[in-house]
Amino acid sequence: MTATLGYSILYVADVVATVSFYEAAFGLKRKFVHESNLYAEMETGQTTLAFAGEAMAEMNGFAIRANRRTDLAAGFELVLIFADPHEAYRNAVAAGASPLKPPEEKPWGQIVGYVRDINGCLVEIASVMPS
Amino acid sequence: MTASLRYTELPALADHESGFEAVWVSTSDRNGTYRVLPDGRCDIILRFDARLTPLKAITVVVTGPTTRFYDVALEPGMGFVGIRMRPGFFERILGFAPATLADDNLVGDDAFAALPVLKDLCSPALNHAELAARLTAFVRQRSIGSRLEPAPISASVISAFHAAGGRLRVGDVAAMHKISERTVQRIFLKAIGLKPKAFAAILQFHRALRLLRDHRLSPTEAALEAGYADQAHMNRAFRRMGGFSPARLPDVTLVTLGE
Repeated sequence: MTATLGYSILYVADVVATVSFYEAAFGLKRKFVHESNLYAEMETGQTTLAFAGEAMAEMNGFAIRANRRTDLAAGFELVLIFADPHEAYRNAVAAGASPLKPPEEKPWGQIVGYVRDINGCLVEIASVMPS
Repeated sequence: MTASLRYTELPALADHESGFEAVWVSTSDRNGTYRVLPDGRCDIILRFDARLTPLKAITVVVTGPTTRFYDVALEPGMGFVGIRMRPGFFERILGFAPATLADDNLVGDDAFAALPVLKDLCSPALNHAELAARLTAFVRQRSIGSRLEPAPISASVISAFHAAGGRLRVGDVAAMHKISERTVQRIFLKAIGLKPKAFAAILQFHRALRLLRDHRLSPTEAALEAGYADQAHMNRAFRRMGGFSPARLPDVTLVTLGE
């Protein structure tokens, strides 16, 4: 039995606001927003990035610590790959992301920076891993 | 306790913007009692005799936020149409604070004394659908006409409690939002009429019930996942809030909480 990673779903207070933010800050495109405004998917290639309203967690019967910009970040990160991480970082911050660490070159040749999104989730802005 | 009441929600009529998350109808087909579990919500209910056409002798009941169960005596043909208000909308709609009605309710003349225009809801109606339409129009108009606006942080704080199934402490939620515990207390008293700790206990109880009933977890597993210290702790919460034991769940109605 082999699994593939199908989705990463972030539970957020406001799905529509988060979709708009990811479009403006990272240039992602929305693939689908459910009419309830409680679920949305972005165009992110093989693994789908999706957002679900916090009410969905309750409906599904599980409990979560809500993501808040004013809180400590949860222990995971999303990594988005850009041709120019420096420009991507400036765009993200201009669109309302919280700056955390400007992009810098790592010893293995990759350029990596960090911001937090409007929900306080960690987003890594990186160049493609050099082969 | 007998399950002699058919409870149905009418999802098409819910209107979150106007402050109500559910419109519901129920009718009783026999003598008995119906157990109402605390859900941290307040309802405006129209009670009537469903055997009469048109529906007459309509009584208004406003229920406050409760922290423990109570039983309603039923007779055959007793009908109800109710609207469940979202947190933060009670005062907008009714003109007084929900905390004044904690663990209490207003029936008939007492409700009219608190808000005389509630009398407008009591004229005869052809059927329960007309009553439901009248009730939703009334609540919508009251909500839109109000100048009271909930604090923007209020929805975020209440949502965090809901998402956590009541497992976060008041201090945790305060810290997450960079506000004081006192502010969280004020938000809850104003929006819901209960203290946040009491509200969290209700959410935890509802979640544990669903874990047992719908997810079919064992009492030990449910107690752990719901965040009770142990099974005995869960048993005490169930006795206090539901009047029953987790080992013997009665056929209770769990309402949809849409926050």
